[in-house]
Amino acid sequence: MPRVVVDPVTRIEGHLRIEAQVDGGAVTDAWSSGTMFRGIELIVRGRDPREAWIWAQRICGVCTMVHALASVNAVEDALNIEIPDNARLVRNIIAAAQTIQDHVVHFYHLHALDWVDIVSSLKADPAKTSQLAESISDWPLSSTKYFKGVQDRVNGLVASRQLSLFGAGYWGHPAYHLPPEANLLAVAHYLEALRFQREFIRIHAVLGGKNPHLQTFLVGGMTTSLDPNEPAAPLNPERIDFITGVARTAAAFVHQVYIPDVLAVAGFYPDWFGRGEGLGNFMCYGAFPQGSIRDPHNFFLPRGIILDRDLSKVHPVDPGNVTEYVTHSWYDYSDGDQVGKNPYEGQTKPRYTGPQPPYQFLDVDQKYSWLKAPRYQDKPMEVGPLARLLVAYASGHAEVKALVDSTLARFKAPPTALFSTLGRIAARALETQLLADHIVGWIQELAKNMATGKLAIHNGQKWDPGTWPDHARGFGFFEAPRGSLGHWVEIENQAIKNYQAVVPSTWNAGPRDARGQRGAYEAALIKTPVADPERPLEILRTVHSFDPCLACAVHVVDARGKVQGRARG
Amino acid sequence: MAPFHFDTVVVGVGNTILSDDGVGVHAARALMQDPRLRPGVPILDGGTLGLELLGYISDARRILFLDAVDSGAAPGTLVRMTGRDLLDGRSRASVHQLGVADLIAAIALVSGKDPEIVVLGVQPATVDWGTSLSPAVHASVARLVEAALDQLRAWQPAAPLLRRRPRAAKRRPHRTTHHRCC
Repeated sequence: MPRVVVDPVTRIEGHLRIEAQVDGGAVTDAWSSGTMFRGIELIVRGRDPREAWIWAQRICGVCTMVHALASVNAVEDALNIEIPDNARLVRNIIAAAQTIQDHVVHFYHLHALDWVDIVSSLKADPAKTSQLAESISDWPLSSTKYFKGVQDRVNGLVASRQLSLFGAGYWGHPAYHLPPEANLLAVAHYLEALRFQREFIRIHAVLGGKNPHLQTFLVGGMTTSLDPNEPAAPLNPERIDFITGVARTAAAFVHQVYIPDVLAVAGFYPDWFGRGEGLGNFMCYGAFPQGSIRDPHNFFLPRGIILDRDLSKVHPVDPGNVTEYVTHSWYDYSDGDQVGKNPYEGQTKPRYTGPQPPYQFLDVDQKYSWLKAPRYQDKPMEVGPLARLLVAYASGHAEVKALVDSTLARFKAPPTALFSTLGRIAARALETQLLADHIVGWIQELAKNMATGKLAIHNGQKWDPGTWPDHARGFGFFEAPRGSLGHWVEIENQAIKNYQAVVPSTWNAGPRDARGQRGAYEAALIKTPVADPERPLEILRTVHSFDPCLACAVHVVDARGKVQGRARG
Repeated sequence: MAPFHFDTVVVGVGNTILSDDGVGVHAARALMQDPRLRPGVPILDGGTLGLELLGYISDARRILFLDAVDSGAAPGTLVRMTGRDLLDGRSRASVHQLGVADLIAAIALVSGKDPEIVVLGVQPATVDWGTSLSPAVHASVARLVEAALDQLRAWQPAAPLLRRRPRAAKRRPHRTTHHRCC
């Protein structure tokens, strides 16, 4: 075998490409292009719908359970299956754990380094860092010695030139504003968050059998049977105690580390409460059913739409109003490029008409993305934690309102400040706190059911395909950490006839539609200042604030169409 | 509860719905069924990586990754790299697509440990949508499994991980199109 070093190593999956026009030090127009998820129906067509989730969860390498859950939801909707209360609880706990995990990882490992300058942290005084840490939180890891140790470890990495995870940063960029001590504090918590997520995701190992790619989903419920007296049962009192402990530890981290860090970082970047707004339209399918999933009124996070930044009105969501355009996407529709199609009628006929690589620019007047352009009643929507929080806030969700209002008060900012890059970051953190405060209660509900002999976790009435109608179709939704995920399934003669997934990053990262309306990333980048086109850190800040599930390559173009900067992040 | 502390762990990496990208997972599944491997050797279906794997591998002394590796060679070509090769290389894609190198760096950061890491990879022919391997890569799975067993043997000469002789029993054929995913 030859011994080689190759670049890039493995993971040959798609990426996101941003082309930004920069004039006078700010973005004047932007185009988002991505490769993604164009073939799930090719994979599941003809298969048993009860197995669709096993394939669907491979769609995404980052958050596998979200597609599994959306898929079983879709099949259960098609076959009109109600799941037992315990299955609902286990799904909610798995979903909350996924969201908490993803949000913490996003802030520290995927986004913090857009705001935190690692190299500057080497100049920090550990004693002053300790004072800073103790002034914002009572988290115990805050001694001078501790921060000195972290600094030494980072120094060692820099000296050995093995920054790897940190390798893409624009260290020393003028848009970094944190003092060295705050940078060191954030770097320390970056490392702690690596440990946090390693421990926390054990909840999935217990409830999912294995991770990644949980194995315990089942159309009609879950396979995690409850047995108060069986030491080997997937769920027994011992395991409930274990995941309760994990959840409590996580809640402490969120309260004492994540939230104070977000507030501290935001305090140094107040301008970013006024940048990166984007569409002003927000959609949420609703999340964490407290009863039947068919009744959105009982959802812990409500379903709804906000239009044109108007928080005084929440509009209803009807999945029948979702359409996808391919006007600027590398697909053909049988009836032309100008129509939008509901996913039930969705077609996926790829036809690449873009330039052959290597190329400098995409022809953005024509088709320029593998993502379709989803629209709701022909309007582009932003989805994600900010959308969920805004819909809850505008719906009068008392707990969300209190959380949001108290946070805004700290910055003396109005609710409209949330329509921003920092607003997305803050919403993600507040949602994490909300879920961390509730996940233990949901685990306790499960424990109570077990203690009172309410053990059902699967409804097998429609397991036999002989009980199914000849034709059925269903919509499965799930609020993934990144936003609204929908799966549409059509079942005929006991097999999948058509299947479409409209994923959060398609809503946010999708291209223009037939009317030329920008997608969420494209809109949010307008007016973003760019201090140094060779190092477009500010563009990455706004794109990353959406938590894209694709690696992002940014191409900055000046007024004459010359490529000035390229960035990967 | 899933065990988290291993001496040696094997991780198959890749996406099984992107044809050859999933070769590492296919090989890991074949390895799980190999009669020469003793039960209890942890072999993970790592999917497309991510920090979530950290909990399963960060305490291991030795980690063997099986993966699709684009080295520009002919499809089906096997390559072997060490963790050091990866860290010394220019490899740096993005934190959004955590590569093996990122995971290795994360292990060092989180545990301060420096596990011995070997990546055995196969050059893919296609990574387009599909659940089957291309013929060239399909043919390489058996070689990848042999290479993995060789590596485990080299790590553990006393062979606690491996049975001494292959059982005469017939081996199950390796499937590339799974109707049930395990």
